[in-house]
Amino acid sequence: MRPERLVPGAALLLVVIVFALTPLGTGVPLASFDVYNALQGFAQIGLLALAIGLTMIAGEFDLSVVGTYAVGGMITVLTGQSSALLGLLIAVAAGALIGALQGGLIAWLRIPSVPVTLAAYIALLGLAYALSGGLSVTFKNQAATLWVDQTVAGVFSPRSLITLAAFAVAAVVLGFTRLGAELRAIGGDRRAGRVAGVPVERRLVLLFTMSGTLAALGGALLSVSFASANPDPGLRPLLIAAVAALLGGVSLAGGRGTPAGLLAGALAVALLAQIVTLAYLPDYSTQLFYAALLAVVVAIDSPGLRRTLDRLRARTRRAAA
Amino acid sequence: MTVRRGPVALAVLLLILLPLAVSTDRFLTLANARAILASAALVGITAIGATLVMIAGSAVSMAASQTATLVAMVFLWTLSHGLLVATLLGLLTGVVVTVVQGLVVGYWEANPIVLTIAAGFAIGGGSVWFSGGTPVAAAGGGYQVLNATVLGLPLAVYVLLALAVLAQWMLRRTTAGRQMYLVGENRAAARAAGLPVGRVIAVAWAFSGLCLALTGVFLAAFNTSATTNLAGPLTLDAIAAVLLGGTAIAGGKGSALRTLGGAVLIAVIADVLLLRGYSTGIQILVKGVLVLGVVVLVHLRRRR
Repeated sequence: MRPERLVPGAALLLVVIVFALTPLGTGVPLASFDVYNALQGFAQIGLLALAIGLTMIAGEFDLSVVGTYAVGGMITVLTGQSSALLGLLIAVAAGALIGALQGGLIAWLRIPSVPVTLAAYIALLGLAYALSGGLSVTFKNQAATLWVDQTVAGVFSPRSLITLAAFAVAAVVLGFTRLGAELRAIGGDRRAGRVAGVPVERRLVLLFTMSGTLAALGGALLSVSFASANPDPGLRPLLIAAVAALLGGVSLAGGRGTPAGLLAGALAVALLAQIVTLAYLPDYSTQLFYAALLAVVVAIDSPGLRRTLDRLRARTRRAAA
Repeated sequence: MTVRRGPVALAVLLLILLPLAVSTDRFLTLANARAILASAALVGITAIGATLVMIAGSAVSMAASQTATLVAMVFLWTLSHGLLVATLLGLLTGVVVTVVQGLVVGYWEANPIVLTIAAGFAIGGGSVWFSGGTPVAAAGGGYQVLNATVLGLPLAVYVLLALAVLAQWMLRRTTAGRQMYLVGENRAAARAAGLPVGRVIAVAWAFSGLCLALTGVFLAAFNTSATTNLAGPLTLDAIAAVLLGGTAIAGGKGSALRTLGGAVLIAVIADVLLLRGYSTGIQILVKGVLVLGVVVLVHLRRRR
């Protein structure tokens, strides 16, 4: 089986089994509330994981998504006090613009995405601070906060359903149009993709517009749910989104991955977070746990290690023969 | 005729910045010049180390703040054994923690950015565990000597200058330094040519760890106690200084002296904005936009 199916499938299966077994450790049976909470956790990181995962499929890495996430949340709170929907739409439009501008620089000037998105991250952090005066801003539209987190069918909320819908849209668009194959071609071998007729520049602009839009939507939903926006969420959301994306079967080298895999990765991480919550671990050990998980996944993903393993395997095979 | 865009860009920037700076109240005072250099010192020391890492092609470390904080804690905690022991243990901590990441990046070609994000959280979690979440106070005296001023400038400024010269000498005059450029320019070609790619990268990271540790020791001495967020925005400020100095993030190009210029430039801009009453947010925003501009320029030049 190919790694982009095997990794997310195995990760999700393993975590679901552990999740189902948590009552053995805690002595309290699982309630639908625990599933609801896990899906709320999924809603919190899912869109960010999708945003960063899509850029990774195309061999790029959008560090600015945490900045867009913060700015999106801040804009929603500042402009959505009377109408949350209006605030959310302004935030998403801003996110699309932020993404398109970066995509333009990356595609048309052929600058690597890391320095562009890193500089943009610093600038967006400054923008979020400047918009808020450096403080958390409270969202007073309680009706919207209550609406977005109400339970639907026992385990869902509008927030987690919107997040699931975004994955569904991405899966349909990438699966039923040429876009999915084109993004993988851009990530796998850009020159070959260009020769094969993929409009690389336009696809890259579209890609970064998508990642900006998704990140801003994620931040907007989060700030409505938390009833406040924080100008600096730190890199923690990016850490968890990166774990989700890598468990979702994408590679930092690009050319690999699907929205369905990313969904499995994001769900696995969200369930894992819920297990950690149920286990009442102290905060720093959760942090150590995610850090170790990401470090291990990145190390496994690294080409040098794979080369070494291949060499070792060849040597043992030769020794056996 | 070839137009060198770097100097032109610098001239344009200075043309904009100089009148703004000179017309700012209290900018042209000796006290302010000292304040600028002092604030450039700690970011600068970290940025000098980060320059080598970037030249050798491993982009940036996102774990600088956490590493410096951990070093500061180790330093303060072991001060009861004397200044020398505490300093050495602090430096050792910084080098070991950083070189481990360098080895994984150098030998396994792990993605440095994602790896160091993970490492930053691991080190941050480690320092919370180490400190129990409470500020670590100095376990002994003697550290005040690190806060001494010589000819009106703090000791850290001289350390920054010395490190910049040392790094520049290493990059231009030693085999290890020149190999860093080659490895950063094209890793596959460097490997094919028989260069010890993994080792070259690990050496760059070790030097960066040393610089981070020095930053941590000075931070500790200055603040006399360390909380988990002691180093603040050090990571991004150091990256901004290196990029403003025109070092290419893809590696193979850059200079320690220009990073020194980048660190001073950032301090000058922050100082002007502060004196003119702009908020922290605007300062960070301007920094980010400026870095973006320099990244675009550096890349356009590289392409031709």
